[in-house]
Amino acid sequence: MQSASSDAAAQDRAIVTLLQDDRLDDAFERLLERYQNKVYRLCCSILRDTTAAEDAAQESLVRVWKALSGYDQRASLSTWIYTITRNRCLSALERRRELASLSDATIEAQVHSLAAPEREPDDRLEMLRELVDALPERYRRIVTLFYYEDRSVSEVASMLGMPEGTVKTTLFRARAALLEQLRRRGLADAGLWLENAR
Amino acid sequence: MNDEERALDAALGRALRAPVPPADFRGRLHSAIARQGLDERGRAAHLARARRERGEQLQTLQADFVRLRRRTLGTLIGGAFAAGAAVAVALPLLQARFGADAMLVLTGLGALVGLIIGTASWISRVRIPNPLERL
Repeated sequence: MQSASSDAAAQDRAIVTLLQDDRLDDAFERLLERYQNKVYRLCCSILRDTTAAEDAAQESLVRVWKALSGYDQRASLSTWIYTITRNRCLSALERRRELASLSDATIEAQVHSLAAPEREPDDRLEMLRELVDALPERYRRIVTLFYYEDRSVSEVASMLGMPEGTVKTTLFRARAALLEQLRRRGLADAGLWLENAR
Repeated sequence: MNDEERALDAALGRALRAPVPPADFRGRLHSAIARQGLDERGRAAHLARARRERGEQLQTLQADFVRLRRRTLGTLIGGAFAAGAAVAVALPLLQARFGADAMLVLTGLGALVGLIIGTASWISRVRIPNPLERL
């Protein structure tokens, strides 16, 4: 884990070095290699809609590109990129809320259908996804990003601009809430039930 | 983490697979950036052209202003010389004709000429059609 974080830091330093050498295009290409998927996943986790996430990720990265020459290293590169992305997603959510207020029923149905992940044959995983989806927004966002980012608490904290302690506490509470939900659905031995989920 | 939590962790790991951007994502991103770049360049060129035109207009205005000041000054000096010359020529003649009232007549003539010039100037300024031009 330590080597992964030091490797990430080295990659960020390499990007900053390219920027300092005025090699903007090279720096942006490196940045895309490192952050493109992360930005997309962050958008997916916030927006719960792959089409909107694609648009938001693209707009975020265009903004990053436009502002890249002015990056002043006051914040770390990842924090800077994630802040731009989060702001973009929040604007998209705001727009969606405005649309929803215009036609609640239609848009809600549309968003719900888009937000539903691809159906898998296994009902158990599907049910688990539905339970995650039904979690309070703060919990849901952290849980999904945690698993998207290979269980890296520090990465989730950086992406959402939160302290690591808050992420850990929220994860703990979210897991407890999920187990509670499973038990409420009559799965006395949730562990055994989950073990069989393939 | 107990067994139940471990099982939940494993199941969540399977259920929540990281989404990947579509294959053409990078291509579309570069197209969007290129479009933005073109827009920016277009805007920059438009701005430069507007600045250049404004500079040229300012230069023309400045040149007109200087020309106007020179012409006004020339008119004033010319007018003063002409008036002086006219008085020098007309005063002895008027004195011979009107005697002590010559200065009064000269002042009246001066006022009349001034009124005519002033009226003509206002007519041309407000663009009132000059009836004499129709003749």
